[in-house]
Amino acid sequence: MEGVKLTIAIIIAVVLQWTLRNVADFFMYVDFPLIIVVYAALQRNSIRALLFATVSGIAVDALSGGLLGSSGFTMTAIAFGVAEIARRVYLDNLLLRIPVIAGASILSSLIYFGIHKLFGQEPAGSLVFVGAYSLIGTMIAGTLIFLLLDAISAGKLKPRKREMFAQRRQTRRRNPIRLTK
Amino acid sequence: MVALLLLNFILMALDARESTSGKLVVRSWTQTAADFVQSPVTTISTSVSNYFSSIANLRSAQDENTTLKQRVQELEVELRQKDGLANENERLRSLLQLKDESKYKVLSARIIGRDPSAWFNASIINRGSLDGVTLNMPVVTDGGIVGRITAVSPLTSQVDLITYSKSGVGGIVGEVGATNALGVVVGTGKTNILEMKYVPGTAEVEVGQPIFTTGQDGIYPAGLKIGEIVNVVRGSATTAHKIEIKPAARLDSMQEVGVLLYQPPQKPEFEQRVTPEQTKKK
Repeated sequence: MEGVKLTIAIIIAVVLQWTLRNVADFFMYVDFPLIIVVYAALQRNSIRALLFATVSGIAVDALSGGLLGSSGFTMTAIAFGVAEIARRVYLDNLLLRIPVIAGASILSSLIYFGIHKLFGQEPAGSLVFVGAYSLIGTMIAGTLIFLLLDAISAGKLKPRKREMFAQRRQTRRRNPIRLTK
Repeated sequence: MVALLLLNFILMALDARESTSGKLVVRSWTQTAADFVQSPVTTISTSVSNYFSSIANLRSAQDENTTLKQRVQELEVELRQKDGLANENERLRSLLQLKDESKYKVLSARIIGRDPSAWFNASIINRGSLDGVTLNMPVVTDGGIVGRITAVSPLTSQVDLITYSKSGVGGIVGEVGATNALGVVVGTGKTNILEMKYVPGTAEVEVGQPIFTTGQDGIYPAGLKIGEIVNVVRGSATTAHKIEIKPAARLDSMQEVGVLLYQPPQKPEFEQRVTPEQTKKK
C-alpha cells in the first residue's frame, strides 16, 4: 500500500514539476520530485527511493535545457545518502525531517551545478541565487507535503502523532523529606 | 545504486556529446509524453488567468470606451482617405506584377511549457518534426528574435532563448550594409539584457540604436531585429565597446511564437574541407 501511495505521489510530483512553472514563476524553486524521493528514502526502502530518483530525474531532465541524467544522478546520490542516514539515525520526527530536506536541497543544487560545470555546460542561474531560493521553496513545500503524506496513511496517523509530540513520562517521585506529617 | 548512477552518467555523457544534433531518443519521447499533460494544463491556466485579468480590466473599460469612441470617429475620416490610396496602390502593383510574398515561411506555434528546472530557461513549443521543424531553426515573434530550436520530438520542440549565457547571434548596429559596427550578441542569463561584444571601439554607436542579425552565424537570417541599445561602455582604438541591449521580443510574457522554416545557405567548399589536424586524428 505504501508503495502504491508513493508511486502515485512521484507521478504527481513529476507532472507538477513539468507544468507549475507555466502557472507561476516561483514554483520553479520547488523541487517536487526531490521531496518525494527524500520521503521515500526516509521510509528505509532504499531500492524504491533510488528507482524513484532515477526515473523522476530523467523525466524532469528531458524537458529541461540541462543535461539529460543530471537530475537523475543528483537525486540518486541524495536518495542513497538519506536512506543510509535514516537507517542509522532515528528520523521519524517531523522536526528532524525538515533539516534533512533542507540539506538535500542544498546538496542537490551543489551537485547539479557541479555536474554541469564538469561537462562544460554553464547553467543560466547563479549557484547562490537559485540555490538559496530552491532551499526556501523546497523546504516549505517539503514540510507541507510530508505532513500531507503522513496524514494520507490513516493507519499510521496516530502513532506518528504520538512520535511527533511525545508525551513526557510522569514518573512518581518519592520525596524522602516529608514536610508535613 | 552504482548501476543507476552509471546509467545517469552515461546519459549525461551522451547528451553532452549529442548537444549539437539534439537527437537523444529518451529526451524526444519524454517530451512527446509530456505534451499530453502540458498542453491541457497550459490551456486551462491561460484561460483562467485571462478570465481574472478581464474582470480586473472592467474597471477602466468605461473611460476607455469614451476615448475609443472619439478615436473611432477620427479614424473613420482617415480611413476614407486611405481607401482611395489603397485602390491606387493595388492598381500600380498589378501593373508592376509584384508578388506579395514573405521571405521565409513562418510556422506559428504556442508555448506549452517552460523549463521545469530553475537553472535553465528553455521553452517548449507545440510544433515538432511532424510539422517540419528541425534543429537550429530560428524562433521569432513580431517584435524580434526569440531563440533557436535545440531539441525536436515528433510533437514538440525545445527552444533555447537568446538570453541563455551560451547563446550567440551575429549582430550589427543599424541596418546591414549601413554601418561596420559588427559584433556578437550573447546572453547574460538575465531575462531583459543581452550583451554585444567585439564591436570596434572606433565604431559610432548610440543608445537607442537598433541591432539586427547579420546572417553570418549560420542560424539566423540577416535583417531580423534583436533589440535596442540601452547602455554603452565606450571602448577605444584598441578595446571594443561593451554594449547592453534590451531584447526586442518580450521574452518573459510571450505565448505565441513563429518558427522560421529557414535553412541557412551551405558553407563554401573551402570551409567544409578537412583540415590537416582532422586528417591526422583519423
